[in-house]
Amino acid sequence: MIPLAHFMFVSAALFCIGIYAVLSKRNAIMILVGIELMLNAAILNLVTFSKHDKFEASGQVFALFAIILAAAAVAVSLAIILNVYKYYRTIDPTKIDNLRN
Amino acid sequence: MNEYLPFLSGLLKDTLSGIPYILPEIVLVLTFLVVIVADLFLQGKRSSAAFWLSITGIIISVFFSFKQIEAGADVRLLFFENIQLDQVAVSFKFIFAFVVLLFALFIRYDRNLQSHAKGVGDLYMLLPAVLLGLNLMAMSTSLLMIYISIEMVSIGSYLMVGYVSAGNRQTEASMKYALFGSACSAIMLYGISLLYGFTGTINISDPDFIVHLGEIPEPATALAIILTMVGIGFKLSFVPLHFWSPDVYEGAPTPVTAFLSTAPKIAGFAILVRFLFPFYDQQSQTKEVFDFETTFAVVAIITMIVGNFAALWQNNIKRMLAYSSIGHTGFALMAVVSNSDYGVQSLVFYFSIYAIMNMAAFMLAGRIERQTAATEVDDYKGLGSVLKAEMVCFVVILISLTGLPPTAGFLAKLYVFSAAFEKYTSSGSIWMVALLITGALTTVVSLFYYLKIPLNAYLRKSANPYNIENAKDPLIFIIAILTFCVILFGIFPSLISW
Repeated sequence: MIPLAHFMFVSAALFCIGIYAVLSKRNAIMILVGIELMLNAAILNLVTFSKHDKFEASGQVFALFAIILAAAAVAVSLAIILNVYKYYRTIDPTKIDNLRN
Repeated sequence: MNEYLPFLSGLLKDTLSGIPYILPEIVLVLTFLVVIVADLFLQGKRSSAAFWLSITGIIISVFFSFKQIEAGADVRLLFFENIQLDQVAVSFKFIFAFVVLLFALFIRYDRNLQSHAKGVGDLYMLLPAVLLGLNLMAMSTSLLMIYISIEMVSIGSYLMVGYVSAGNRQTEASMKYALFGSACSAIMLYGISLLYGFTGTINISDPDFIVHLGEIPEPATALAIILTMVGIGFKLSFVPLHFWSPDVYEGAPTPVTAFLSTAPKIAGFAILVRFLFPFYDQQSQTKEVFDFETTFAVVAIITMIVGNFAALWQNNIKRMLAYSSIGHTGFALMAVVSNSDYGVQSLVFYFSIYAIMNMAAFMLAGRIERQTAATEVDDYKGLGSVLKAEMVCFVVILISLTGLPPTAGFLAKLYVFSAAFEKYTSSGSIWMVALLITGALTTVVSLFYYLKIPLNAYLRKSANPYNIENAKDPLIFIIAILTFCVILFGIFPSLISW
């Protein structure tokens, strides 16, 4: 059996890759991909810990809800990014800066 | 599978027994479904059917909440301790319903939104859904419910901001909001997964939660809690996480801004109080898990300073109100830090007043923008003699936002101050002194930027005359009623003691 720590290492690595993508990418879609990686890191954690839970359910149920909500959030974000492309002809967040102090 | 069979009837019974207590939420779900269908078939003029249906649904749900208060105000844990229904939750629910109703009226009488090609039916459809999320935020006592309810409100809010994409700025605001929000909620989910792993339970009201958390090394607990706070902090927009709010508030349509700066923020505080409760409750017995008092005191002080001083330099009205709402967040955090029953009561009172003032301020900003196309403070020059009723209301609301008597804003701030002072006298904490001093100083600072508006409106003359588009609509009556309430509650605060 794979020890618990290995799962946690994988999920921590996924989370860090996701954060790196969010902070460094110059493309809104790639940022969304990074967010998705972070979410999946958390979901992996939840399922792993669920194995050691006293009821063996709450973590897995949580993971299911998280997957559904992530899908909903991504659907909304993609529609919004499409809209941004219509007006700006680019989806580079650093070039979209009409609003600022 | 068979080993679960003996428990099934018990589980079912527990679930069924909870249903009568979430009647207001069930009504909201039904309203949501009915409004979708109604808007498809009965488009009509200005989506009237959707408007009236969602308003009716929300009022029925408020009616059931009233019934809950009458039935008794004891604390109830429902659905396997995922939801907690108590007096504080019901008070917050009333505030949310009030804000959402005002938001619906604001949409109905906002001509920019009404003239939009897509119509506003879908916005009305979102109202019951978002209100459901807000209600759940006020009641959640498990990590699962916290995550689901925050996401429900977030997704609804992204849609609201992005819905009327009539220009560069609005689409930009919606993208910034959606990306920043999704990133924050992903970070929060990772923190929640760690909390679950450390404790083996997702119920924060479960005694095991705190006990197990205390057995974990302190840096690990601190990491998990800070990651979780990122998601809640995004909703509150306290300082390290406030970057999105001025941009989004400026870019979004004014009614949406009014809603976003009020309801999700208040719900964020409701969830924060719920999340912190077990930590404060057990602190005397077990070792301290995480030093919330110092953390939030520092965050509150920085938030008050950044919000109020940044507001000084703003010229755009909506941006200024955005920074002022960040300042208000910092102020309200003071009540959270003081962590007493009195603190929570003062928080509820503060936000009941804040909801009235903030909605009225944005309604006025939106109305004046439509009538004179004034979006900057400089554009308000000489408006005092042209838009008489609007400017008088605006001055009263701004005085209340500053926190001067005889308005309700003064009492709201006073209660929070006294909660913090009570905490100081009982604990002698140096942080409380720092908080009290910062709160008082930033209130003085806020006077400067709030009073810039009446200064321009009454004492300066405009170079070119205004062509006022005379809008005879009920919005001004709503604003007048809200202004009257601000003064009335300032003189008779007992009228809204929950």
